[in-house]
Amino acid sequence: MIDQTYYYIQEGYDPFQNLATEQHLMETVPENSCILYLWQNRHTVVIGKNQNCWKECRLQQLADDGGLMARRLSGGGAVYHDLGNLNFTFLIHKADYHVSRQLDVILKALELLGISAEKSGRNDLLADGRKFSGNAFYENGNRCYHHGTLMVQVDREQLGKYLQVSASKLKSKGVASVQARVVNLTELKPELTIEQLKQALIDAMELVYEHKARPWPQENLDIQQVEAYRQHYASDAFRLGRRIPFSWEMTHRFAWGEIQLQCEANEGKLKQVQIYSDAMDAGLIEQMALQLQGCAFGSKAMAERLMQMEHRQEITDLCEYLLELNM
Amino acid sequence: MATLENLKYTKSHEWVLEHADGTVTVGLTDYAQQELGDLVFVNLPAAGDDVTAGEPFGDVESVKAVSDVFCPVSGTVAEVNEELLDAPQLINETPYDAWLIKVENVSGSEELLSAAEYEAFIAQGE
Repeated sequence: MIDQTYYYIQEGYDPFQNLATEQHLMETVPENSCILYLWQNRHTVVIGKNQNCWKECRLQQLADDGGLMARRLSGGGAVYHDLGNLNFTFLIHKADYHVSRQLDVILKALELLGISAEKSGRNDLLADGRKFSGNAFYENGNRCYHHGTLMVQVDREQLGKYLQVSASKLKSKGVASVQARVVNLTELKPELTIEQLKQALIDAMELVYEHKARPWPQENLDIQQVEAYRQHYASDAFRLGRRIPFSWEMTHRFAWGEIQLQCEANEGKLKQVQIYSDAMDAGLIEQMALQLQGCAFGSKAMAERLMQMEHRQEITDLCEYLLELNM
Repeated sequence: MATLENLKYTKSHEWVLEHADGTVTVGLTDYAQQELGDLVFVNLPAAGDDVTAGEPFGDVESVKAVSDVFCPVSGTVAEVNEELLDAPQLINETPYDAWLIKVENVSGSEELLSAAEYEAFIAQGE
């Protein structure tokens, strides 16, 4: 039974630091306790643990605009975060972990703010029939977390810009995102602020768990441990290099003829490359395929590899085309 | 909930089949798959990776959550069940056939329970 409730409000907006802190809180929350962790990411796409980032997110576009892509430990689909979004995490031992009770805290907070919302399906929250909160879950033995987004005033144009990947030339194992009709809470209550929502969540936690919530002491955080986790979350190995096999192909007709690329990739790298073209000699085609072998997947990395070869119009054109794809 | 007499079990709900040559096969129990719900992805190590008893060696994602899977034994991964990448639901359908990994060079293990002990352990928790 939960007899201690705590809240921890993160100060910075770095997604890797935020996820690192979340993991550390999960590992340190005592039994019979609940920590409510509140945090925000700046300009970030967060994908589920078992998602293909190139399939779910316009990675290069996001990077060009100064955004970040982070992979979380929980499952489910891709979400876009900016400072108009507030994230919550409930960190609880398994014995006291009840998704419906945790969702009651969110619904109670909205009720305190005068917004009516309801549970829908397994783990969605809807207001006005539209989704304002996506929830996801992670279990490591007896330690669990339940986290989710709360869209207060997210830039929905950006959301569409990074999450809707059109090129279906990429086929991947892993978990696909599901699109939903979304709503910002400020559409329902225009004066709502993130600060008000934070306070309402803490108040609601006290009401639902019937215990006074205290701040989780800063000195409980092991700064070195959090830093080690931060580096892990920020690493290409974790973000891009997960063992999720995928294939990608492109066909394009240039002035000099057509070229077709077929790639098998895993752990973020090209494992097998096949190139077909009726307009180039077999030796050059073979060389190009060899050159791409082992290359990191993505427009820039692939173009850079090819540019290391002898200067030929065909190669220059192909590189330009790859860069235009902006993957 | 089904158990098989010829298998051993962990408190974190993995099953272990010990072979005469010293290798072991590891999977998830029927109880585990029921608790997890419909699986949508299985994330396994590669052959040659080292695994440690009591430490996660992979994870499974269901419609409810991502859950780490703990290794009952220490050793080296000899083989992984690649079929699960395309068909994670096999764990839901036939948990005692849908093995996850085979481990060789086994050097230690978690506390392993008999089928009867495991059933008693589950009954105690519910």
